[in-house]
Amino acid sequence: MQEDVDTIAANIADWTQANAEHTDASAEKAWAHPGILWGVFAIPEEQVGALPGSVDGLDVVELGCGTAYFGSWLQRRGARVTGVDPTPAQLATARRMMAKTGIEFPLVEAPGEAVPLPDAAYDLAVSEYGASLWADPYRWIPEAARLLRAGGLLVFLVNSTLVYLCAPDGEGVVGQELQREQFGMYRIRWDGAIGVEYHLAHGDWIELLHENGLEVEALHELRPQPGAVDPAYYDFVTVEWAEKWPAEEIWVARKT
Amino acid sequence: MSSAENERIAANVAQWTRTNAEFTDRDAERQWRDPQVYWGEFGTRDEWLGDVAGLGVVELGAGTAYFSAKLARAGARPIAVDPTPAQLETARRMQRETGLHFPLVEAPAESVPLPDASFDLVISEYGASLWADPERWLPEAARLLRPDGRLFFLTMSTLAHLCTPDEDNQPIVNRLVRPQFGPWETRWEGYDGAEFHLSHGDWIRLLRANGFVIDALHELQAPADATTHEYYLVIPADWARRWPGEDLWECRKT
Repeated sequence: MQEDVDTIAANIADWTQANAEHTDASAEKAWAHPGILWGVFAIPEEQVGALPGSVDGLDVVELGCGTAYFGSWLQRRGARVTGVDPTPAQLATARRMMAKTGIEFPLVEAPGEAVPLPDAAYDLAVSEYGASLWADPYRWIPEAARLLRAGGLLVFLVNSTLVYLCAPDGEGVVGQELQREQFGMYRIRWDGAIGVEYHLAHGDWIELLHENGLEVEALHELRPQPGAVDPAYYDFVTVEWAEKWPAEEIWVARKT
Repeated sequence: MSSAENERIAANVAQWTRTNAEFTDRDAERQWRDPQVYWGEFGTRDEWLGDVAGLGVVELGAGTAYFSAKLARAGARPIAVDPTPAQLETARRMQRETGLHFPLVEAPAESVPLPDASFDLVISEYGASLWADPERWLPEAARLLRPDGRLFFLTMSTLAHLCTPDEDNQPIVNRLVRPQFGPWETRWEGYDGAEFHLSHGDWIRLLRANGFVIDALHELQAPADATTHEYYLVIPADWARRWPGEDLWECRKT
């Protein structure tokens, strides 16, 4: 368990820094956005169709909510959201935004690996670059499955497997060379990074979801909209690359 | 069938007639006599089909029907479907030589003259899975299966396709050389046939649309002692030890 605690602590340190650098300052704009957007190229949900057509009245848990902008979009659409994140600094930003906007919902300080919320109490579990990338999938997927009601939906966004394979060590953008093997991919700390990321191959995601009673409904391999621009802060990939290969992907799975 | 589809199927029949003369005819004897069920070019032993005794099986794009022969040895009741007469002729010769008899049907997987909801298992091992139009053969697979029937298909991995140079039978490289977002149908210089390469997301979408549940995607790793295939040179063994060269999908009809 020591290892888990260390990786969770490392990711809290990483996101405390990222919040000071970026997510605190960008929270106001993110919370104010009228649409639901996916990923670093801000792809509208209407183009993707990953979420239920209506979230009105759904009990939603967001795992790794950060400053909870994604949860706020769902709350505004009638969902009853609970945001879960292990980083106090980001939750403080979320609370400030709640006070400012009047959009209020519970925030819980916890990692995706161990969520202090009841079994079978949610219709939708979402993770948009949250637990999906920074929590151990062999611990957070069972937690998501536990939290969902039968028939509930899990929707999560991650970097694509191709991005993992083609990302340079250290600085620089994703290229075309395969930089590392696929077999054995799981946990990685990039050169110079504080935090630890988790990346699984598609076959491993499917196996893990299946073992936890989650039936795969879709894998949306995202492509930027025409006119998309290179990401400013999360600058690991260019539009030019992402036009050819999926940089980000959304898994959709239903609890049976 | 559309004229474009007829042309494509004819091109694949021409290609596989040539491949049969070059390789699959002479390889049939070894494959038919070996009872072990393998997946793909690197001899990955099957650990997923389970007991097939008594199961009604359709193999789509069976070629020389060696996969069906192995299942017949294990007690299944296979029907092997393929559009290439030369390969079915080889299969017939092997049936006479081994005494393993089961029906051989000359048809493309896009249009299979077999009844609805009559089979427990549909298999395609580098058959329809790569050379038939998935928007046509997956509905056929779904139609042929009984509820709870299973579909297993093996094809070249999406990643291997993205790393494949344009020239026919040139080894894949450690580099993305073609976009993933693009048409599925692929033609190669110096190769008559037409292949279909889908991303994992597209396979999942089509499978779900045809009433399949996805039980597994086995991304096959070449065993440590595997060597590059003697005839199919595209995926070198050392590449396939680092990245999956072949994808085996395991699905169930709801």
